[in-house]
Amino acid sequence: MRVYRDDQKFLQFRINAVLWGIVAVFVFLAGSFWFVQGVQAEKYRGLSEANALREIEIPAKRGLIMDRTGKILADNQPAYTLQIDRVVMKPLKKADPQRRQKLEQFLARVLELQPAEVSARWDKESAKLPANQPFPIAEDLSMAQVAKIQAQSIAFPEANVVPVQRRNYPYGTMAAHVLGFIGEVGGKELAQNNTLTQGDLIGKRGVELMYDQYLRGKGGAEYWEYDADGRRLSEYTPARKQPVPGDNIYLTLDFELQRRAEQYFIENEMVGAAVALDPRNGEVLAMASSPAFNPNVYSKRFTPDVYKTITSNPFKIELNRAIQGLYSPGSVFKVVMAIAGLSDGDVGPDTTFNCSGSGVFYGRRFRCWRPQGHGAVTVDHALKVSCDIYFYNTGARLGVDKINEYAHQLTFGEISHIDLDGERAGLVPSTKWATEKQHRKWYPSETISVAIGQGPLVVTPLQVANMAAAVASGGKVFQPHVVRYVDRVQPDGSYRRFRVPSRVLHEVKLSPPALKSVREGLWKVVNEEGGTGGAARVEGLDVSGKTGSVQVIAYAGRVRAEALPFRYRDHAWFASFAPLNNPQLVVVVFVEHGGHGGTDAAPLAKLLYEARFKDSVNGARLDLSNPETLEQIKEGELPLPSTR
Amino acid sequence: MIFSDTTKPRVDLNFIGTALVLAAIGCMLVYSATFFTDPNLGIFKRQVLWVIIGIVLALIIMAIDYHVLFDIAPILYVIGNILLVYLLVWGKLTANVKSWIHIGGFQFQPSEFMKVFTALMLARFFDSNDRAYLDFRSFMIAMAIIGIPVGLIIIQPDFGTAASFFPLIAVAMFFGGIRPRIWVAMVLLAAISLPLGWTMFLKGYQRERVMIFLNPERDPLGSGYQVTQAKIAIGSGGIHGKGFRHGTQGKLGFVPEHHTDFIFSVLGEEWGFVGVVVVLGLYFYMVFQALTFAKHARDRGGTFLIIGLTMFFVFHVMINVSMQIGILPTTGIPLPLVSYGGSSTMMFFMAIGLIANVDMRRFVNA
Repeated sequence: MRVYRDDQKFLQFRINAVLWGIVAVFVFLAGSFWFVQGVQAEKYRGLSEANALREIEIPAKRGLIMDRTGKILADNQPAYTLQIDRVVMKPLKKADPQRRQKLEQFLARVLELQPAEVSARWDKESAKLPANQPFPIAEDLSMAQVAKIQAQSIAFPEANVVPVQRRNYPYGTMAAHVLGFIGEVGGKELAQNNTLTQGDLIGKRGVELMYDQYLRGKGGAEYWEYDADGRRLSEYTPARKQPVPGDNIYLTLDFELQRRAEQYFIENEMVGAAVALDPRNGEVLAMASSPAFNPNVYSKRFTPDVYKTITSNPFKIELNRAIQGLYSPGSVFKVVMAIAGLSDGDVGPDTTFNCSGSGVFYGRRFRCWRPQGHGAVTVDHALKVSCDIYFYNTGARLGVDKINEYAHQLTFGEISHIDLDGERAGLVPSTKWATEKQHRKWYPSETISVAIGQGPLVVTPLQVANMAAAVASGGKVFQPHVVRYVDRVQPDGSYRRFRVPSRVLHEVKLSPPALKSVREGLWKVVNEEGGTGGAARVEGLDVSGKTGSVQVIAYAGRVRAEALPFRYRDHAWFASFAPLNNPQLVVVVFVEHGGHGGTDAAPLAKLLYEARFKDSVNGARLDLSNPETLEQIKEGELPLPSTR
Repeated sequence: MIFSDTTKPRVDLNFIGTALVLAAIGCMLVYSATFFTDPNLGIFKRQVLWVIIGIVLALIIMAIDYHVLFDIAPILYVIGNILLVYLLVWGKLTANVKSWIHIGGFQFQPSEFMKVFTALMLARFFDSNDRAYLDFRSFMIAMAIIGIPVGLIIIQPDFGTAASFFPLIAVAMFFGGIRPRIWVAMVLLAAISLPLGWTMFLKGYQRERVMIFLNPERDPLGSGYQVTQAKIAIGSGGIHGKGFRHGTQGKLGFVPEHHTDFIFSVLGEEWGFVGVVVVLGLYFYMVFQALTFAKHARDRGGTFLIIGLTMFFVFHVMINVSMQIGILPTTGIPLPLVSYGGSSTMMFFMAIGLIANVDMRRFVNA
């Protein structure tokens, strides 16, 4: 044991000294409070009753969303909202217990609603916000309603009409899946982000969600003086905090391309998706998903009826089919097979297989789509006529795991990290997948189905576009993105521009001869007689592509698509890029139960190429021998093709 | 009687009881401050949870002989410092300050726990140093033990929390024993570093606070607004107060932070001068008992541990209560055991546990 030293006394003395010091401080504090609460109590009681300034939030203006050239796709419209202020109402309610009923009756008359409806809204909305914040009870008031309420402002001081900004999408359903929509903040979001408060409007889907932190801006505040009865007197202007508006966003979308894509689906009453992107940097020029929803609906009061209409739609209108729809790729997958076979060396550019209309693999007979067969086919011809037998053979030589490896390199089976929510990865089967996920053996005969894009293999239209971009650019796949710039307002009112960078997502090593053969085959699909994609041919532009038609159910014999009920019809694909020697645009079109890729999907690709290269369609081309043009391309600019 | 055997550890129930009464008053005030704006009572329920966790922590600490805690003090001290460094490098900014660590849905301030760890480390140091006066080398070691966490917290920059380590420095100097010339040197150092610190270390908003303190009319709606509103709330409470749940100033959001740093204004408004005196009396009673324990502690380490921790209480109460009516500038210093907040509630209960721990084992054969 340690013995206390002689300084025990010393410590005791000092502890006592400190104790007396503390007594002195506490007495001083108690004295100070006596001064405030005893001597000056009347003064402060008066101030408390006259008090006080209340903070009223001013929401920030949400940033605009525009297409790549500045055409406005989402803005804000002034509107009037009716709010109830419970702080003002409290003393009035004490004086008159029937206050709420009287106010509800008045509001029901002005808003032309049932009193029960007004009462239900009151209960719902008032529970959401703290009692010192006014709560909204009706939005989008007409001028007549505003006038009627203002006329009664002395009788009902607790009902205030406040100007607000309502999110507005001037083109309705246009680019709805990319833009997304906004809605009231939920409990989960509140818990995750402490800059949000109850009642805030935030992005819920699409760019509105992904770029919410930029678009949202920062709310400000006004300070209003209130008297003891809770009546609003005047604003204390020196304290006003101006809101900071949100950043403006320029999408990579091209209005004209987007419009044409959506119109095509609407006019033909088709369900499906289209993606157009620039293979040189990953910018998405068009992304359509049909049918679309109207984001304006979400900015308004969300009644159960509206909710039911949206969720009961059999076509799942909220689904962005371009990144969330999973479909068998069908013959479009033959491009992957050709690349895999040629790169792996299992087939060469001159290898031929004989197609007699059917072939036997692993003890089962597989048929080519053309019963009379294609004869001896090489890879480019096989792509052109979409010969199944050629790719059955390639698949049998590769095996499913090699196919899986190449498909992953071409971005299948994983998400591409596009700046939109809910992107899905799809599935590329392998023997490992069969044993681990399915707890079964992989049968080699299944590989034969996968070789023509059937079987458990599922992909999104965006992944097909990435694959086409890889072929177009010679192996580089850029991370696709829909936002080009973010313009941030500076304190002096000017804008500072932030560019969304282009990032390489994958770099696939493709042997030049393999690439050449595949590209040749794809060019022939569109441009040679007998190719399946002739409908996408554009005079004066080297469009290359691949069609696909996917059997949705197995049926005996051959049936005309029109004769089948809608949900049993084939899916139609068309994946393409142009021009051949300097690819600037990739277009992928997918039509759910559309029938045939060549007849139903390819025509939209043609429309988009015409829109994008409208100056080149009549014989005009980019003169790539001109060093100036090449310089421009290197700089990342898109030179307009000149008319020769 | 069981308690006739003086070799058994025994707990002073008066001391623990006082702490529990203060925590209960705290929960009641948090409820009264937030029930209007937070109808789900989430804040109140969380505070009750923190108090329960705090009591459990205190019981765990009491179960372990504080000499064992001295043995592991360096480990705790190093872990605390690592967390502070972690914050500086990877911490997220919350209100311009990097002082929170987020784990799952919870967040905590390592700087609060560091207060206890540093006091433990310092007490361990004085346990083995028993000269009447500190020589220069020991003095520098003591200053380094305090200086490292304080430096890391100043960089965050959380000036208020860093300042709350001041009582430890005072304890080291006043109770450790310092020769007059070192006193002179310290005073000179302070005189030089004050203007230097003003320009170099204080952020704009902190300088603004001091300026507002000196001249409250400067910004009626900034930090000055907070004090003005708190003063109106407290003053309008008068002698008897407006009654439980009947305060208006705090409830309607006129007093910002009224459930954390400005909870005392809710007390002043609803319970009046009577309530203020009762709560100050409870704090004094607790501190008085703790310092009595310090005199009777078994060894020098125990004495220093109690004094260090007690000084934290005194310092927090003094600063927090003073800023309510504008005697001192507004800093982010909570009222011990009463203010809403997980980290500070837990840290003060840990301190209660440690003080009781030393008292329990004051008899040699325990």
